[in-house]
Amino acid sequence: MSKYHPEQDLLTEYAAGTLPLAQSACVSIHVERCGQCRRQVRQLTELGASLFEHLEPVAVGDAQLNAVLARLDEETPLAYDNSRAAPESTPAILQRLMRGDFSDLTWKNIGSSLRISYLQTGDPRHELALYHIRAGGRIPNHTHRGNEMTLVLQGGFSDADGNYHEGDFLFRGPEDAHAPTALQSEDCICLAVLDAPLKFTDWRFRWMNPFLKLRAV
Amino acid sequence: MLRVADKPESGVSEARTDEWSECLGLIAKNQDRAAFTRLFRHFAPLMKAYALSGSTLSANHADELVQEVMLKVWQKAGAFDARKAAASTWIYTIARNCRTDLYRRLQKFDTPLSAEDVSPEQEDPDAFSLLQQQRNRDKIRELVNTLPTEQAQILAKVYMEGKSHSEVAGEMDIPLGTVKSRVRLALQKLAIQIERKPHE
Repeated sequence: MSKYHPEQDLLTEYAAGTLPLAQSACVSIHVERCGQCRRQVRQLTELGASLFEHLEPVAVGDAQLNAVLARLDEETPLAYDNSRAAPESTPAILQRLMRGDFSDLTWKNIGSSLRISYLQTGDPRHELALYHIRAGGRIPNHTHRGNEMTLVLQGGFSDADGNYHEGDFLFRGPEDAHAPTALQSEDCICLAVLDAPLKFTDWRFRWMNPFLKLRAV
Repeated sequence: MLRVADKPESGVSEARTDEWSECLGLIAKNQDRAAFTRLFRHFAPLMKAYALSGSTLSANHADELVQEVMLKVWQKAGAFDARKAAASTWIYTIARNCRTDLYRRLQKFDTPLSAEDVSPEQEDPDAFSLLQQQRNRDKIRELVNTLPTEQAQILAKVYMEGKSHSEVAGEMDIPLGTVKSRVRLALQKLAIQIERKPHE
């Protein structure tokens, strides 16, 4: 299981429903696969429910009730199968966003080791993208002009701070510089959420900085 | 009001039920409108309060949200499982997701994902974690009223008003770090702790 997890304050915002869409998509994929975080989120949701129960009720008239009752006929209760399907290898959210599988995506090459495919979530302030790093490949040294969330979906990578494997979740702020290198054994696929474009510090790639724009939407 | 149902089932022997989970059961089984009406009378005023505490929704939108959430409760009652969640938690989750979706609709977000898509399903608990879960739930509900005002106020802003930690910091004119540490202190008091075991 993962060694790296979202911090508690991030999980709190996630449970309260206040995280921006692209970020909550990324957190939810980690949480779906991590028992510890799932239990944590469950308790944080219980907290939300108890605050909800303690709200000062605001009167709702009979007209509202009748309006809903009148609509029940059109809305038959749905049949549900309560057994929970095991998480699929490709997270359901990604399948929806990719409209297919990894092979159906359009990739943009950046150097020889890195390919990026942008996913459209509709979140206007965040870019959600898949990063494909060739086995042993290195992403040029970069900092972030904003925050970056990374979730390892397949394989793993390392940087000066540690080694990250499938399921690991990382959150980095604007000041953190790193040059991730994929593990030698296999290609690495990560999901990343940015709220500002990357900024390469590696002189060979610095010319790209003015062209790096946030591919949000 | 709480009691233990005597329904031994596949190793999980207790599912605690209350009035509200019984109502959900009756809706799922018999499309029981009386049960639905009881749920409505209790939860709709809370939903309206929840809708309005975000303060950006008009009264009309709040009414719209109440209707939408109650219709979802009717439709999805069959998915409710008293072993996995308290009825009120389940209903709160629907209200939270619908409110988030409504905000996004109002902001003309064009997205293939709904808030429900990014909130994971409850897993099937084993008997042990079920007990643990109920204990946690009781503890949180018991302790939530004992929090110092400054912590309770921030939790209310985050959860009920739906604001991010940095929005809360801006609004209250206090540093983001202070917001985070108050949230952390509150969670400690509620015994919501990160368990980080090396292996799982």
